[in-house]
Amino acid sequence: MYSTLRDVPHGLAEAGAASRPRRRRGAVGRVVLVLGLTSLLTDLSTEMVAAVLPLYLVLQAGLSPFQFGVVNGLNQAATAPVRLISGVLADRSARHREVAATGYAMSAVSRIGLLAAGGSPGLIGGAIAVDRLGKGIRTAPRDAMLSLATDQRALGTAFGVHRAMDTLGAMLGPVAAFGVLTAVAGGYDVVFVASAAIGAIGVAVLLLFTGRQPAAERRAPTVAPGGSLGARPAVDLATADAVAAPPASRGARARELAALVVDPRLRRILLAACVLALATIGDAFLYLKLQRTLDLPVRLFPLLAAGTAAAYLLAALPVGVLADRVGRRRVLLGGHGCLLAAYLTLLSPLPPTAMLVTCLALVGLYYAAADGVLAALTSAALPAGTRTTGLALVQTGVALGQFTASVAAGALWTAHGADTALAAVAGALAVALAVAAWALRQPRPGRTRAARRRRNRHGGAALPHIGGGSP
Amino acid sequence: MTSASKDAPPAAGAEPPPGAAEPETGRAGPAGRVAPAGPGSPPGGPARARWERWWRVGVLAVVVALAVGVSIGYGLHAARRTAAGHAAAAGGGNVTISPGTIVFRDTERGPGYGQVSFVSLDDPGGPRTVTGLQCDRVDMVATAGLCLAASPGIYTSYKAFTFDSALRITHGFTVAGIPSRARLSRDGRMAAVTTFVSGHSYTSAGFSTATLLYDVAAGRELGNLEFFTITRDGERIQPVDVNFWGVTFASDNDRFYATMATGGTTYLVEGSVGGRAVHTVHSGVECPSLSPDETRVAFKKRVAGGGPVTWRATVLDLATGRETPLAETRDVDDQLAWYDNDTVAYGLPRTGADAVVDDVWTVPADGTGRPAPLVSGAWSPAFVR
Repeated sequence: MYSTLRDVPHGLAEAGAASRPRRRRGAVGRVVLVLGLTSLLTDLSTEMVAAVLPLYLVLQAGLSPFQFGVVNGLNQAATAPVRLISGVLADRSARHREVAATGYAMSAVSRIGLLAAGGSPGLIGGAIAVDRLGKGIRTAPRDAMLSLATDQRALGTAFGVHRAMDTLGAMLGPVAAFGVLTAVAGGYDVVFVASAAIGAIGVAVLLLFTGRQPAAERRAPTVAPGGSLGARPAVDLATADAVAAPPASRGARARELAALVVDPRLRRILLAACVLALATIGDAFLYLKLQRTLDLPVRLFPLLAAGTAAAYLLAALPVGVLADRVGRRRVLLGGHGCLLAAYLTLLSPLPPTAMLVTCLALVGLYYAAADGVLAALTSAALPAGTRTTGLALVQTGVALGQFTASVAAGALWTAHGADTALAAVAGALAVALAVAAWALRQPRPGRTRAARRRRNRHGGAALPHIGGGSP
Repeated sequence: MTSASKDAPPAAGAEPPPGAAEPETGRAGPAGRVAPAGPGSPPGGPARARWERWWRVGVLAVVVALAVGVSIGYGLHAARRTAAGHAAAAGGGNVTISPGTIVFRDTERGPGYGQVSFVSLDDPGGPRTVTGLQCDRVDMVATAGLCLAASPGIYTSYKAFTFDSALRITHGFTVAGIPSRARLSRDGRMAAVTTFVSGHSYTSAGFSTATLLYDVAAGRELGNLEFFTITRDGERIQPVDVNFWGVTFASDNDRFYATMATGGTTYLVEGSVGGRAVHTVHSGVECPSLSPDETRVAFKKRVAGGGPVTWRATVLDLATGRETPLAETRDVDDQLAWYDNDTVAYGLPRTGADAVVDDVWTVPADGTGRPAPLVSGAWSPAFVR
């Protein structure tokens, strides 16, 4: 892993060399690894429960198919307002760590709620809702912390490391859960307790090892005097928050948020992300189509998801490094190109095994090139003081776009069959790719109004176009 | 964490220099400290940095020790609980289920929990026989029984098998997911199994059910209902979100009824095994159960309104389409079983902490009378006559 990290462009070391004599090894700082560990533990905890929840709900709690659907149907779209609120809150208070920790803690506590809920579908649904709200709350502040602690040129690598650790935790979850069930027959409650305990360790790691933000620093000016913001060296979070901290006055904060909404860079990323999301349907559709085309036994369904996750795990870091080298914009578009290829594979006359392997690998690559890279692209484009809100906006836009796409694809599938639906989605994705490429087109430095404005704002030091391709 | 903070040198809270909160001296931590941006920041001092690092590691060690301790302690407690149950359950012997019995899934706390048990039809409150057969769902007719069971594991496996009256396994079938409903036809020749199939949590589109029909006599799977031809109100449809559950067979072994859900609506469908087709006959019906005289269907009807979803036991007259709510007003979430032509039976969980224990109740099928308890500590009743 470290040999890969050392491959990060040399410019990075040069940029920070003067101020950070000890920082020579690479781009991925301790904060990234700590956040990665927290995510690994939390995803382990989440997936432990997710793996046994259907069994528990049906066999022990005795839920009927309809109730099961109700409990399961509290979808992610409902967490959109919470995401935005947590983003604004984290930006305004500059307490990213505390806001994120609240989200992580909610998920850990929800396992105890599950334990206490017994067979009541309402309480079980409530516990699951708390878990998902917690996820909604923590994602944007966590990504903002990650980006604030990382050199802009290595954002793709940092997000790649984080997402790989996150996915590793998710893949270990079912293994851990069934390990517990093997040791203690029928011990669903033991799984819940162990999950809560692991989640608590994750929260402790986050709170103990990402550094504190003393009040004096939170009030520090936005741009440190003498600090070369252009190079934007990698900083520890405590100091990063000094950069992140908005001016104290309420009006100035409001203006900063307003500026975010009209920020042309965010608007272009938001447009690209939403348009791409509108042509991205849920994996379940792809798996269903694979299962029907190849006539797979239904019990192999979870293995399809595991195959995709494995591909994602393997590709996350290399793709992140690639994004830092050749440009995040290109990699993001290329990732969606992989998704388009996956759609086309499903429509192709490939032999079963080839179709299965190709499709899962392509979807895994898509994840590696979409999720973390989009976060890196967004982070690089936004000032520190409104970054969390911007990340939350983009994530919410993507979630709502994908939800809309899945609903539309479902309706199309019902009315005209699977092939028509898939072909339509593939066509939409091709168009979306063109629109996104246009939206993310690279402005020439110094030519656009936005660049001029930025230059003025930062006292003449124009921000270089970092990472090769990010706008 | 709070108490640990109090132990820190007072200067740490009072006027901390930027970056001092990050004790960055370890070899493992690649992140160095940024030089203070502003002028006049005092250096943190290696001693305090070391101290800061150690109390953090100490607090983490305590949290990890607590977490591991609680998990293992709880696990041992749960393991003892299970072991006690198994030890007591080992006393089962050779048993035969003869006509004149009520067969059910035992939910009485103790050794027999989750096993197939039976009582005499004449004395339902009398002594029960625990068979030692572990089933999550069970159904039985005079000549054969159907059992669905899950064995959790990394690769959780599920099995469905039929057994004869001496509890010998006659046919095994592979099933795709978590057992939900099991039904045999009247002569035990046909079987229907509903299971839950669910994917990966972050990527799943939600739940789905798979309902498969089996020709028990021939030992053959007859296919998933989702692939039958579906006609709704005279129009052929092929919805992607379709789910079937709760099959009930007519005595000709071809006609059957089931619940079909699509687009948020549940329908009663009538189907033909031979014709591989279903068509809707009524809406708002879940888990139908055909009466012995095959003129009515007992089902659970979803009660609209705020709050949690509840169901009302209801009987539908197939000829007239008239619905009769039964005198049971509690929430019935079970596939009802006909005790005889005039009475239906169903399982109801107890309340509160006893929710894992169910009792079987009966109520007249014409909407009159009152519910009466039949067997305590029982679920999935089947009447073997």
